[in-house]
Amino acid sequence: MITLTSSDGETFKVDEVVAVKMQTIEHMMEDGCAETAIPVPNVTGKILAKAIDFIKKHVETTKKEELRAWDADFIKVDQATLYDLLMAANYLDIKGLLDLTCQRVADMIKGKSVEEIREIFNIENDFTPEEEKEIRKANQWAFE
Amino acid sequence: MTGNMRLKEDEEEEEEEGASPIIYGDVLELILSHVPLVDLAHACLVSDTWKHAVSSSLFHLNKLRPWLVVHTQTTRSPYLTSTHAYDPRSRLWLHVDKPPLRHVSPLRSSHSSLLYMLSPSKFSFSRDPLHLTWHHAQPPLVWRTDPIVAAVGSRIVIAGGSCDFEDDPLAVEVYDVESRSWDSCQSMPANLKDSAASTWLSIAVNGRRMFVMEKNTGETYSFDPSTKIWNGPYELHPDPAVFFSAISFAGDRMILVGLIGDAENVKNVKLWKVDEETMECEKVGEMPQLLLEKLKNENSNLASIGVTMQGDFIYIHNTSGSGALLCCEFKIHDEIEWSIIENVIIISDKTRMGRLVFTCSDVGIHDVHKALSSDNRRFLYSP
Repeated sequence: MITLTSSDGETFKVDEVVAVKMQTIEHMMEDGCAETAIPVPNVTGKILAKAIDFIKKHVETTKKEELRAWDADFIKVDQATLYDLLMAANYLDIKGLLDLTCQRVADMIKGKSVEEIREIFNIENDFTPEEEKEIRKANQWAFE
Repeated sequence: MTGNMRLKEDEEEEEEEGASPIIYGDVLELILSHVPLVDLAHACLVSDTWKHAVSSSLFHLNKLRPWLVVHTQTTRSPYLTSTHAYDPRSRLWLHVDKPPLRHVSPLRSSHSSLLYMLSPSKFSFSRDPLHLTWHHAQPPLVWRTDPIVAAVGSRIVIAGGSCDFEDDPLAVEVYDVESRSWDSCQSMPANLKDSAASTWLSIAVNGRRMFVMEKNTGETYSFDPSTKIWNGPYELHPDPAVFFSAISFAGDRMILVGLIGDAENVKNVKLWKVDEETMECEKVGEMPQLLLEKLKNENSNLASIGVTMQGDFIYIHNTSGSGALLCCEFKIHDEIEWSIIENVIIISDKTRMGRLVFTCSDVGIHDVHKALSSDNRRFLYSP
């Protein structure tokens, strides 16, 4: 069993077969640093719990259809949780979860106009006024 | 791993609960690798940071891949056309919604992204990836119903396909795109007399030459439109068991796809790379049996296949209109990866209405921008 401690002090005991799916943790296990509890400073208990749930489900189930349906349900979370899960998957290097969360965020971009994308993702328009003018002139369709 | 998010700092206003964090760096590029090309065209206009992230993501994580464009056309006037495209980078189908072409006649293509229409009054062609620009020219002197047409460099070669008894069945004419003029030249070799039409001949084209091969025998000739000279014959028959083959260029490679066995019982489909200078064939791949079954569909008859190639991609379809659409990609060390294209239902439905014409293009963000800037053009995701 491997023990993980979240940023807000929650501890999680996971089987090795689950822990190795977090590449970051697996490397630590290989380096012999997994004897005591491993701190996961960037991830809260709430998110770490979800990430562990994801891995457990994918370890237990092999049926693609069932996993697909479960993933679709699993990822129905608010934007903040989605980002937190994405960051956790990135930091802990959990490939399946990273793909799922990135795809979900990518789906938020699909079909959106430039202004809509800026709004959803809180993007600062860092084009110079001249650049912005050029872009709007060349691509009127994007701003309608 | 570098931190890739920070909360937006509001100096004057109070911090919003659940303000969405700003995504940048590795994570942004990873997300963008999941975004289809037609949406990346919007994403790169959002900010300078995103513009660079899109470029970087395309270069490092998920590069552009050539689209397979399927044009379906009804067989009678006004020859209504609808266009669907498959983007293998994102594995999805798009319906390309665009204004109808004016003065339409049957659409044809003989290689890669070339699309053309030939009528008694006009010869029209388009070579750009999304066929936004059409070049209209006088028709060739000889009226042809089923010629081979090839865009070689800045010239278009039209050969064979004549149906009038008075015309030379082997007549060749070359159109110079820059000077907008036709020139007649040396006829096709006499050996091709009985098969001088696109029904019987497969062509492979690169920037300098056109290679013409009889699909059933593998007898091949090459034509250089700048010297107007035919060379050959060459025998492209790498395996005596091949009863049908097609050639085309995938990037710099001339590839021959051969059906082995006979039409009622095709045993294999193999791929050879042909050396342009020596015309020798080297086997580079073989279709997995499972995919061959899908290509045949329920019908065990597979008399001929159509191939469309661009860059590292080869698309193969059953010319009867049924069966699966297959794709193979040259990967590192020229290893071939085979796959089947999903959700071809859209296409199968259309087949009943008319003809299918396949083209293959390298579509980039610039092309998508141009298309969207053109009148009423849209890309819609097919469900």
